[in-house]
Amino acid sequence: MIRPDIHPEDGILVAKNLVKVFGKRTVLDNISLAIEEGKTTVIIGTSGCGKTVFMKHLIVLERPTEGQVFFRGKRIDNLRPRQLAAIRTQFGFCFQMGALFDSLTVFENIIFPIQQHRKITDYKALDELVKHKLALVGMDGYQNQYPASLSGGQKKRVSLARAIALDPTVIFYDEPTTGLDPITSDVINELILKLKHELKVTSIVVTHDMKSAYKIADRIIMFYHGKIIADGNADHIRNHPNDLVQQFIEGRVSEADLAALKLGGTKYQTQFLPEDFK
Amino acid sequence: MILAFIDKWIQGINNLGRFSRFIFAASKCMLATSFQPKTYPLIWTQMNTIGVKSVPVVMATGAFVGMILAVQAYGQLAAMGLEERLGVLINIAVVKELGPVLAAVMLAGRVGGALTAELGTMNVTEQIAAVESMGTDPVKYLVAPRVLSCLLLTPALIVYADLLGILGGYFVSVIQFKINSGAYWDFSAMGVEFWDIGTGIFKGVFFGGAIAMISCYKGFTCREGAQGVGEACTEAFVGCFISILALNYVFAVTLDAIYKTFWPLRSLI
Repeated sequence: MIRPDIHPEDGILVAKNLVKVFGKRTVLDNISLAIEEGKTTVIIGTSGCGKTVFMKHLIVLERPTEGQVFFRGKRIDNLRPRQLAAIRTQFGFCFQMGALFDSLTVFENIIFPIQQHRKITDYKALDELVKHKLALVGMDGYQNQYPASLSGGQKKRVSLARAIALDPTVIFYDEPTTGLDPITSDVINELILKLKHELKVTSIVVTHDMKSAYKIADRIIMFYHGKIIADGNADHIRNHPNDLVQQFIEGRVSEADLAALKLGGTKYQTQFLPEDFK
Repeated sequence: MILAFIDKWIQGINNLGRFSRFIFAASKCMLATSFQPKTYPLIWTQMNTIGVKSVPVVMATGAFVGMILAVQAYGQLAAMGLEERLGVLINIAVVKELGPVLAAVMLAGRVGGALTAELGTMNVTEQIAAVESMGTDPVKYLVAPRVLSCLLLTPALIVYADLLGILGGYFVSVIQFKINSGAYWDFSAMGVEFWDIGTGIFKGVFFGGAIAMISCYKGFTCREGAQGVGEACTEAFVGCFISILALNYVFAVTLDAIYKTFWPLRSLI
């Protein structure tokens, strides 16, 4: 799945031959990928397959061991922090657990990026802006609450409102539906779709929730041990011939893992014999 | 075995390098922050939590140090009939060494622990990454105000510790041991110089800097999970404590040398 012919202009965000090594472990193994503008790209894969690490490379929260990252044709992985800061105002990042600042209220959380990058003169307009952003995610009226008093779903919605505070062109979602009940998960899915249509943003979503992936994705990419093993739309993935992909989307454990699980008992080792499982 | 030892060494040097870069980045941000009125509210908030709220504990520390010194030294001096000189002994010990060092140790526990725990938790819950992802330098937003507050307020807190140490010593000496108040102050005034008080407070700037830098660094680099934050806090406190004592030794040697260079005869009197 390596495309050495990938060009920086192939998409809004392009990763070229990306390699990341943590200690002795290769987390990303020569990944080349172009993200199309205005589309929702969903990255799926088992836990620890490198999908979140890959997304953090796109926003340069991690620097690659080898390879390059391009944003609108310009290389960004080697920029200095100050130059990166200017580019990052075009990105919104929704963290897995929300990552809201717990010492600040919802209102202060949302104005944080605005305070940092714009000179605020009209405070009434700022109130309106926060109201508007919160209304977009259905959280207007919670301005004075602290994150500790919000539920998991509400935190993610506020985090989403904060991510769109600077009107970004790309929004990253790190496992947006993980840890939420099915209904709240669907609310988040609808929100991602709504933001895509209303704000015309490019979305990159990392998830292992297949229901969510099918619903929101224009394109689904599957990672396995730091490599891309599948790439296509929802139908393509549904009918993918690779057994690893099928196992993942059906949530089925592989025969080899199953056998290892059954034989690997320690406490009740003598209770079953291998022939019991035939 | 040897390889593991070398590995540990390399790791240690690596960490030292990272810490040095952190100090460099924090100092640069601190300078920039000092000239940006926009960031002053952040510094006021930190000054309140780090400085103002530490005043009672630092004062209590100082008072007990002075009182204990008086109790312990009285017997020895009284046996030689020198009890009126108790004031010199207590006050020099308090303003030169014990006041600054114990106030700094108290701060390392109170402020250092809190800084590491706060930043460590922020690190674990990805709040530091969130600051960075929004195009703000986390060192500038989170570390600079904290270091600046510690740097500026530790000397001020040492003044409080010194003051209460002196009063505590006076209280026990004069009220409890019935030493003549006038003689007590006269001997104190003769023995304690402005240099002693000044160096004690001057050291505070470096103690404060060490506490804030080490605690913030440990918070920024803490490992995931509750255990990670706990370990970071322990390491931060131990690091602060050792560096306060080590810095104090360095200052004791260098300041003594400076004193003897400029006033070579005074130590003979």
